[in-house]
Amino acid sequence: MKARALVRLWSIFGEPLWIVVSMGFPVLSSLALSLLYYSIGAASYVGFAVLGGVMVSFWGNVLWSMASQFYWDKQEGLFEIYLTSPAPISAILIGMSVGGIIGTVPSALIVTGIGWVLFHPAVNAVWGGVILTFGLTLASLYAMGMTLSSLYLAYGREAESLNEVLQEPVSMLSGLYFPSLGARSPFPLAIQAAASLIPLTIGMDALRKTLFYGNDIWQVWPDLAILGVMAVVLLFASTYALKYLENVGRRDGTIGVRIR
Amino acid sequence: MTSLRPILASAWMGIQHDIAWTTPVLSVALRVVAPFASAMTVSIIYWFGTTSASPGLFNADRLAYVLIGSTLYAHVASYAWVPTVAIAEGKNLSVFPHIYITSRSTAFYVAGTVLSSFVISTIASVAALILAYLALSSFLGTQIPATVTLTSVAMVAAALVANIPGALGLGFLLGAYSMYASKFEWSLPGYVAGLLMVFSGALFPTSFLPWPISVGAQYLPFTQFIAAAREALLPGTSGDYATSMGLCLVGGGILLGVSMFVYFASERKARKDGVIDRRLA
Repeated sequence: MKARALVRLWSIFGEPLWIVVSMGFPVLSSLALSLLYYSIGAASYVGFAVLGGVMVSFWGNVLWSMASQFYWDKQEGLFEIYLTSPAPISAILIGMSVGGIIGTVPSALIVTGIGWVLFHPAVNAVWGGVILTFGLTLASLYAMGMTLSSLYLAYGREAESLNEVLQEPVSMLSGLYFPSLGARSPFPLAIQAAASLIPLTIGMDALRKTLFYGNDIWQVWPDLAILGVMAVVLLFASTYALKYLENVGRRDGTIGVRIR
Repeated sequence: MTSLRPILASAWMGIQHDIAWTTPVLSVALRVVAPFASAMTVSIIYWFGTTSASPGLFNADRLAYVLIGSTLYAHVASYAWVPTVAIAEGKNLSVFPHIYITSRSTAFYVAGTVLSSFVISTIASVAALILAYLALSSFLGTQIPATVTLTSVAMVAAALVANIPGALGLGFLLGAYSMYASKFEWSLPGYVAGLLMVFSGALFPTSFLPWPISVGAQYLPFTQFIAAAREALLPGTSGDYATSMGLCLVGGGILLGVSMFVYFASERKARKDGVIDRRLA
């Protein structure tokens, strides 16, 4: 776990350009949507766009550097090394998650800094609640990334197209930039219920409550409990799914096939 | 004719690359998802912001403005960066060096891949716009104004075509970059999409940006393309369609001329430096 996390950290911090390139979309989309809030006379909600920009960095990291990572690793011949090493594959994924989270922090900080300097978003935070919510959101989000990575094990070149299909709809449903749950959501109840299955949806809702509406931990405890349960369930689900698909791949002889 | 053939061959190759990985219908349907979700997100932000901040702020005309702008910037973003992938992936899979050693310039290959992607993206964007229009009308319970007649559709189609030189120009510039840097080129789509969001007037008028950025943004061919499409589809939009189209074509032509000069210079230098077949920077 530690070894995989260090490899990821070294690859990010050993090449500062990596930080610059990975922050492009989060910074610019956050800037554009903040300007949109501003231009329509809703400056009090600019903070939603800044927070969305921070969280889209992590969501992008989960999708492109966790979920489809084994696809790239297969292309590079690394996946066989994982399989033949004595390390459990779930530990490698957890290491990848830890490295990914730390590696994405600079990008998230830059989005926050630019948003803060340019727009001075109104904040009414209970910081203890924000930190706890943020931690649980990342834990459940990266656990979802681990589960997705096991599913991606079964895919070949479709992985990239699947990521492109997933990225925007999940951003929309999870309400990265506007509330997608509750009375202010534009979505019908059925869509809200479906969106609640995505950890990011619950996390964003709780983060907005603690960061902008001054809700303390006791007011968001149902969200925190759901996030905690999601993290544990998804962690176990990923372990089982990985084992299952690994066995299927071994049996069918497709586990190491690079292009299909 | 001798120029058309390599362009068409490259365009066909691009179509095969983009949609042949699964059934064509499924592939195109999947390509609708991202622009649809993106247009929905931005339009919902407008709805949420205006209805929450103060009663009376919401304006259906402005919602239509945001909806059309967000769909069209996504359209440009989805095909302008294709040369980057065509070159970077082509170098990794040895396709690009093989095209380079043929009797035709790689510029034809780049142009062909942009055109194929333009066709696919146009279908996906139009479908996304229609779906988002219907979904928003239903979710938000509001009538979004739009003039859909044979004339207005023809005007939008003309605007889409008029934007090709500009998008091709941007594509050649990005292609010139990726000839040298086979590393981090994957980040360019994010930058292109993000910059278009901010500077093309897709979500808010360019006059909202600080001077002199607002002036530069106003005369971008992409800004004029989106303005022309809005003038065709939205009743009562300020601005003149013919002027927007003219500025789009002139701006696009200048960008294309400059970027082709840069591309050919980059191609010559890349040969000298021996990076045409270099896979990793």
